[in-house]
Amino acid sequence: MSGVILLILILGLGIIAWASTRMRALGFRRRSSTRVSSLPHHHGWYVALWTAVPPMIFLAIWSATSPALVTDMVLHVPAAVQLPAPGFERAAILSEARALAAGRAHGAFHALSRTLAPAYDRAQTRIDWIATAIVLLLALAGGAYAYLRVKPGFSARTRIERVVLGLLLAASLIAILTTAGIVASLLYEAGRFFSVVPITDFLFGTHWSPQVIDPRDPGASLGAVPLFWGTFFIGAVIAMAVAIPFGLMSAIYLTQYAAPRVRRIMKPVLEVLAGIPTVVYGYFAALTVAPAVRQFAVAIGIDWASSESALAAGLVMGVMIIPFVSSMADDSLAAVPSSMRDGSLAMGATPSETITRVMLPAALPGVVGGVLLAVSRAIGETMIVVMAASGVATLTANPFASTTTVTRQIVDLLTGEAEFDSPKTLAAFALGLTLFVITLLLNIVALSVVKRYRESYE
Amino acid sequence: MNRPPSSADRWGSPAMARRLRRRYAAERRFRRIGAAAVALSAAFLAFLLITMIAQGFRGFTETRVALPIDLAAAELPIEPARLKGRGADLALAGAGLEDAVDRAATNAFGSDGIDLLSPGAWIVVRDAVKADPSLLRRTTDFSLPVASVYDVAAKGEGMPEAERVVARLRARGLVSTGWNIGFLRDADATDPTRVGIWGAAKGSLLTMLVTLALAFPIGVLAALYLEEYAPKNRWTDMIEVSINNLAAVPSIIFGLLGLAVFLGSFGLPRSAPLVGGLTLALMTMPVIVIAGRNAIKAVPPSIRDAALAVGASRVQVIFHHVLPLALPGILTGTIIGMARALGETAPLLMIGMRAFIAAPPHGLTDPATVLPVQIFLWSDQVDRGFVEKTSAAIIVLLVFLLAMNGLAIYLRNRFETRW
Repeated sequence: MSGVILLILILGLGIIAWASTRMRALGFRRRSSTRVSSLPHHHGWYVALWTAVPPMIFLAIWSATSPALVTDMVLHVPAAVQLPAPGFERAAILSEARALAAGRAHGAFHALSRTLAPAYDRAQTRIDWIATAIVLLLALAGGAYAYLRVKPGFSARTRIERVVLGLLLAASLIAILTTAGIVASLLYEAGRFFSVVPITDFLFGTHWSPQVIDPRDPGASLGAVPLFWGTFFIGAVIAMAVAIPFGLMSAIYLTQYAAPRVRRIMKPVLEVLAGIPTVVYGYFAALTVAPAVRQFAVAIGIDWASSESALAAGLVMGVMIIPFVSSMADDSLAAVPSSMRDGSLAMGATPSETITRVMLPAALPGVVGGVLLAVSRAIGETMIVVMAASGVATLTANPFASTTTVTRQIVDLLTGEAEFDSPKTLAAFALGLTLFVITLLLNIVALSVVKRYRESYE
Repeated sequence: MNRPPSSADRWGSPAMARRLRRRYAAERRFRRIGAAAVALSAAFLAFLLITMIAQGFRGFTETRVALPIDLAAAELPIEPARLKGRGADLALAGAGLEDAVDRAATNAFGSDGIDLLSPGAWIVVRDAVKADPSLLRRTTDFSLPVASVYDVAAKGEGMPEAERVVARLRARGLVSTGWNIGFLRDADATDPTRVGIWGAAKGSLLTMLVTLALAFPIGVLAALYLEEYAPKNRWTDMIEVSINNLAAVPSIIFGLLGLAVFLGSFGLPRSAPLVGGLTLALMTMPVIVIAGRNAIKAVPPSIRDAALAVGASRVQVIFHHVLPLALPGILTGTIIGMARALGETAPLLMIGMRAFIAAPPHGLTDPATVLPVQIFLWSDQVDRGFVEKTSAAIIVLLVFLLAMNGLAIYLRNRFETRW
């Protein structure tokens, strides 16, 4: 039987176990005079778990190991002597025979695979029957063991609750596993990259052209400094030059000046800016903003301006970041004790003097933390720069020139041919690792700044 | 401090009045700058939306040209009996309808008449014949979609030459404009007049299903554990820190993880909604955990104490009392997380969801694309006709997002409880 049918069988047995045990528990609950510690459905669940879980675990292990067992059995039939020595061809013939036996293939390329297909079929059938038998045995044995333990005095509830607790713990461990998975896969692939390209070449080299990698010296064309500069220039300089003044002034206006009704309407409107998919921003940047920026550059006398300028990508990214800066600034302004503001106003300072000389300095750590978080978001942002920034790495501080970023290069490197061994593909993982480390550091610093500052007023 | 008072400090002195005027002017200026910042941000949003809607709206319409086709003269080898049921498309595909349409176009518009029609024009004829086989025995006036060049020209942004052709046809009263039904029904295609959004929408739907099925239960259970059970020790601190960090990791890193682990190690199929969903689930889960913890924290301890006091166990307290009360908050967070996942592009590019796929996916492992990736793919096309299709797809995506966010706001207002 196939895995799906076995799974349905196990679930069916589990349901039967649940229902019959529940009936039994209901029965002795009515009859017995002693206090029953668990509800009938607790007993039901207890037996159902004993019936279903061991076969499921077996099935999971079995589905991983049985293909090898089947192949092993096929290798013992007489016709298998003709198979070529282990290698690519042998594997191809075996997989073709397997496909023929399963009815997935219609024709055979190798004649031998046609001879081996019946053997595969037989072996698979035998393995399937063994699996079915073991599953049934495990289900019945587990079910019977649990069913016999169900007595009025038996506390099924504590056992069920222990399982639930395990489930909750497992769910939260997935977060750690994901983090570990990210770190491990990035480290592993980046490690393979750095075994080919010296890490110093990558971190300090100033020439980036992954399209032509010299196999004798791959590090010469994989220096990532232009990418780091481009990312910093677009994400931390241009985008922040838009986002900080707009975000900060919006937050100040909406918290200090605006009428409640204006605030109630404008705050969600600004938040919509953060909810728009980045691919939409990217399209807008490439289609509308980039040509406008180019025209502007030509109008002020720069006739070599690129249509994939750093400025276009940075401007749009800055607009996307406005709500982050404004909501962080909003929070930290609200956290400033009102006695400080009232004191300043009482001394005769105007509201704007109070804000710039008293409240902003007091809220500064929170604002800085928010800006750092915004920077971390900007340098990790992908679609805007993929669509609006250039693919050519240049070291320039001219906003009208073309620049590229780390994320844009990751996308460029990993689309196209997808072999896992070329330094070109692996370079993407090295870039990913760098990006991960930098954003992680930024986040940790930002959060600790915000946290320490919050504590100081409470 | 101990400066003797000068005349400038006296109330009413001209110097004082001048300084006050300056300070008040600075105050007004500051206030106006603030208002301008808010207004400009909102104006940018409005500009973006209006540009998209103005361009995208045209993507939902198509230009058609009237063309009489004499199907009786074409003498197509089609038995009307075969036009019922499943074999109809097959029977009509090889029957020479395309040639009949091309001949009619040449007769009506001259030697370049074939280029005037969209490559998908004959499909309109096919569907009409399928619906009414009697068309095969007479001459009918069809209204067929024109090729992309002329479609763009009719909408006022084409090449001068194409615009002249359209103007000539319009003078003869042959041009009409209609809804482009195919845009909501079809999948991707190479010709902009034939593309549709349904393939990508279905891919998005399947991907979101996988994401929801994984991220919601795991996120809720993890939130319950961290809020209700977790002892304060190094392990739970680590779980907490990694969840907070995961929420801030750039999305493209999740794409790299999906590429290395799901495609590289597990050997799952490329471009599949299954892998896309798995990748996005890892991204969405921290959002749900954080929202879930806040919702669970908001349930007052008195409810837990009351349940415990009448003999409920910890698990019963959690699943019978805390979870139902926290659920509206958790759902709001979930919808917001799902909306973010729906708009996500970069991680899906990493796992190969940027291929050209001309049929909607039928299962979780079929090659598929999703709405944002479809927008990205169309934005790369040089053909002018794709510009309005891209904006139209953006409108569809924004409508979905708006609906999800609206639902989240509704849920928050409807079920918000003040304890």
